[in-house]
Amino acid sequence: MDARHTFDFLTNPERFMAFSRWAAPWLGALSAVAGVAGLVLTFLVPEDYQQGDTVRMMFIHIPAASISLFIYLCLGGASFLGLVFRQALADLAAQACAPLGAIYTALALITGSLWGKPMWGTWWVWDARLTSVLVLLLFYLGYIALRGALEDEQKAARAAAILALVGLINLPIVKFSVDWWNTLHQGASTFMAAKGNGLPAIYAWPWGLMSLAYLGAFGALWLVRIRALVWRRRARALSLKLAESPR
Amino acid sequence: MSFDFDAGKYAIYLWPAFGISALAFAWMIASSLLTARRWRREAERLQAQLDAERAPETGA
Repeated sequence: MDARHTFDFLTNPERFMAFSRWAAPWLGALSAVAGVAGLVLTFLVPEDYQQGDTVRMMFIHIPAASISLFIYLCLGGASFLGLVFRQALADLAAQACAPLGAIYTALALITGSLWGKPMWGTWWVWDARLTSVLVLLLFYLGYIALRGALEDEQKAARAAAILALVGLINLPIVKFSVDWWNTLHQGASTFMAAKGNGLPAIYAWPWGLMSLAYLGAFGALWLVRIRALVWRRRARALSLKLAESPR
Repeated sequence: MSFDFDAGKYAIYLWPAFGISALAFAWMIASSLLTARRWRREAERLQAQLDAERAPETGA
């Protein structure tokens, strides 16, 4: 099966429902196993010689932050497919992932703030990384608000998709903010980390497992939420049929 | 190696972070599953109603 056929396969609602019926529980189970193993390691690893016990915050903060960017990429991709190719399922996929992305981003900001206070001496600074992640949260909230604000669903979907595509510009800004500007936030220590700045192996394991747990949870919940929207659309179509049918 | 749950002076930062994360995941899981179940049941109920209304027409 080539990439084009995979794409066709997932844009068919019937096939998607059959695929997601078994994929969602499997992703959920993978996430739960990785989460339990990650949490065990989180409280087994020794404290950091500089940060003390707050180093454990890393294993929930970095996964929330990095997956929140990934979710926005999914939101942008699905919005593009919905807007340009008029794929109804892609539009539902975009709608389904926005609340999850907003929560992951809020978690990144809250856990970052709770980590920042003991390490930096402040809950918040308007540096480029923190500000651009706040902008990311505002894009998610704007998307959700726009979809809810317009009564015509097609117009709402189109307007929200355009907003989502504009917000894609923010992703490289979030990622490279620590390189482009002087920030209180540290530079990359996982993906694309400078030599010598990478995580020590002992911390890489709990980080990797927790990242897998956060990613798996997003995948499972995304599929469940898309399924909910497919059923909602079916229920609305059936309501119309019932209203039109002669009694 | 043994478990280290004693975060000392950092406990007031560490535990709220883990607690809020746990609550957020609990909410996301519950809300997603309940919404999906609600719409699945609604679609099934409407489908059954439509089938029942059409049955006399088709003579089934």
